[in-house]
Amino acid sequence: MEQEQITVDLPKFGPCTFEAGEVLDFPWGLPGFPDLHRWLPLNLDSHPTFVWLQSLDDTSVALPAVDPWMVFETYDPKLPPYAFTSLEIREATEFATLCVVVVTPNAEEMTINLMAPLIINLRTRKGRQIVLDGSAHSPREPMPRKMPASSKSA
Amino acid sequence: MLVLSRKINQSIMIGDDIRIVIVAVDRDQVKLGIEAPRTVPVHRSEVYEEIRRTNQEALGAAPVATGKPERATLKPRTKPNR
Repeated sequence: MEQEQITVDLPKFGPCTFEAGEVLDFPWGLPGFPDLHRWLPLNLDSHPTFVWLQSLDDTSVALPAVDPWMVFETYDPKLPPYAFTSLEIREATEFATLCVVVVTPNAEEMTINLMAPLIINLRTRKGRQIVLDGSAHSPREPMPRKMPASSKSA
Repeated sequence: MLVLSRKINQSIMIGDDIRIVIVAVDRDQVKLGIEAPRTVPVHRSEVYEEIRRTNQEALGAAPVATGKPERATLKPRTKPNR
């Protein structure tokens, strides 16, 4: 069966074609973006480490995120039960974890939000930002300048 | 905003399945007990507010990205769970 192909012109990245089945559904939106439900995960050649979450409901919105274990190998988020129940996650192998990155305007400093990981059920493509209230994880953990797992050739 | 007066150990119901109990009052501090279904997230407002701010800053100060957008393949957690 052919998947429906969709092309959008993205203000930040230019034209992009994808299949309907690749879109992520965040039924609860994100804190700060409660009405943005459909997101497309993108890589750009210039930033292979970053996954850009491109909103399809407001194409001017794109958030950079990274796999937290590429930066902090010992990251150990304790997800609350509602994360698993609301996203219908049955096993640990079926969800992806991304953390939003904040870059200062002059790109001098980057911080990663370890307190509120984006949890994505890869089976249903449903996602939710889970706030680890009461945890020791920082919402603004400074990112090391060199990310070890991003490139072995450097 | 609806304002209700409650005494210690009294509670209020929000909908059919969320109960908020006044557990203790000490000067300007109130201890609340919250019973909610496992599907409902409960946060202190300032924590939620901080996450909202970081999300909006991530958008506002995103690095200048160039290059062709390619669809990213998401993978399950890279750290073994057990």
